[in-house]
Amino acid sequence: MPKFVLLLHGDPSAWDKLSPEEMQQAMEQYRAWMHKPFNVGGDRLTADAGKVMRTVDGQTKTTDGPFSETKEIFGGYYMIEAADYDEAVQRASDHPHLKMGTVEVRQIWEM
Amino acid sequence: MGDVGAPGTAEVLLEHLFRRQAGRIVAYLVRVFGTAHLDLAEDAVQEAMVRAMQAWPFRGIPEKPEQWLFRAAYNVAVDALRRSRRVTELPEELVQPEVVVDLDFEESLRDDELRMIFMCCRPELSPVSRVALSLKTVGGFSVREIARAFLADDATIAQRLVRAKRVIRELELTLEMPEGEELQRRLDSVLEVIYFVFNEGYGAHEGEDLIRQDLCFEALRLGRLISGSSICMPRVHALVALMALQAQRLPARINESGDLVLLEDQDRSKWDPDLKSLGFHHYRLAMAGDDVSEYHVQAAIAATHSHTPVDWIFILEMYDRLHSMNPSSIVALNRAVAISKVFGASRGLAALEGLELDGYFLFLAVRGHLLLELGELGLAADSFRAALECRCSEPERRFLSRKLADCCLSG
Repeated sequence: MPKFVLLLHGDPSAWDKLSPEEMQQAMEQYRAWMHKPFNVGGDRLTADAGKVMRTVDGQTKTTDGPFSETKEIFGGYYMIEAADYDEAVQRASDHPHLKMGTVEVRQIWEM
Repeated sequence: MGDVGAPGTAEVLLEHLFRRQAGRIVAYLVRVFGTAHLDLAEDAVQEAMVRAMQAWPFRGIPEKPEQWLFRAAYNVAVDALRRSRRVTELPEELVQPEVVVDLDFEESLRDDELRMIFMCCRPELSPVSRVALSLKTVGGFSVREIARAFLADDATIAQRLVRAKRVIRELELTLEMPEGEELQRRLDSVLEVIYFVFNEGYGAHEGEDLIRQDLCFEALRLGRLISGSSICMPRVHALVALMALQAQRLPARINESGDLVLLEDQDRSKWDPDLKSLGFHHYRLAMAGDDVSEYHVQAAIAATHSHTPVDWIFILEMYDRLHSMNPSSIVALNRAVAISKVFGASRGLAALEGLELDGYFLFLAVRGHLLLELGELGLAADSFRAALECRCSEPERRFLSRKLADCCLSG
């Protein structure tokens, strides 16, 4: 079965405005999604912009992560199984993250 | 990569776990760091929960989520204190060993919560602030939820909380429990706040129903917290009994179409049996000793309503007694209803005379109802029309409109 990653982008400060009860409700939705059979795993990234490394004139330079106009950052990813993009998108369509941010769906290259 | 459903992760979260823990952790942090750091405690709890929100959806819910939240909040609070200029070095005694949520800790937490609510009800704070602060710090409700429950705007509630916390800081109020007569007075003030919260939830106002029902259960929880402590008096049991016996009716008060169902028309098989037995359990405990409070009398009325046929003669006796303890117009209105049940509508109507409740829809509704029973259709219709002019909820409005239609149909 082909694998896809769901890249979650969002503004981490969106959580600050929720009440404990609302957070718990959101958590329940994430939990339910996490246990779907096609979900193979995932990880959370720290809530910062990270570092960007590039080679300029033969020298590797490191700068702070990309600053975008919005406060959105790449916050984490899930890996799921799906037959094709259509199914992957359909499976991601009820992901609770879509209430707070965007989900980018990418297929993993298979040899 | 986080393993989904890995060993050591919990499958379910207890209902309202976050809100419950929020109150408990704030109480704990305030005990450890002092009331001057109430804001810091609240922020730390919020931050801990945000961290949980970021980690758990990927890692799974930890096996002991309470412990996870306690530890996270404690660490956030310590970091914030270290960073703040006021505290460069944390005093030895504040550096806590790892939090272990065991039975002993649970017990000390109950004590923390109790102290916290007793501080929220200090006489230095206004009655409305006591309610808002109790719900925020002990109940774990957000400003927006409190505002929604009380039909106020967020800014008003937020401002009240800021002011209340300033009073706490300026007067250096502590979590120390009062003693002797002051304990008595404070206990009464705490019970007042609890009953107010319950009534706000129970009254069929507009607003979000779920949040309102939560208010009833939070009031019940706080009442039981006190009834299970060493400072309990029979009146605490009476209040818990009263709230449980009223709350048992919650599932039957609104029908499928969202309309109000009067007590006498309710399907009693829908009443909550657990709340009923809880209510009678505390009712019996309330009868120990010679403490007689208004809660006792009201609990006796609620208990009598639990059995059919309803003993209206006893209920009237209780309202007579309540009226002698608290001669308010609202009590007199309820007493008039009991009089009409025992002696008929015209005696009930006579008992309404002289009550200054003309702007209160329930008064006008009762008067209309009694007039309708007496066949005074025109006067009854006038009364329901006047009631519709008053502030009330949508289900209540529909109820009044139906009654008004009854008057016109019969005529």
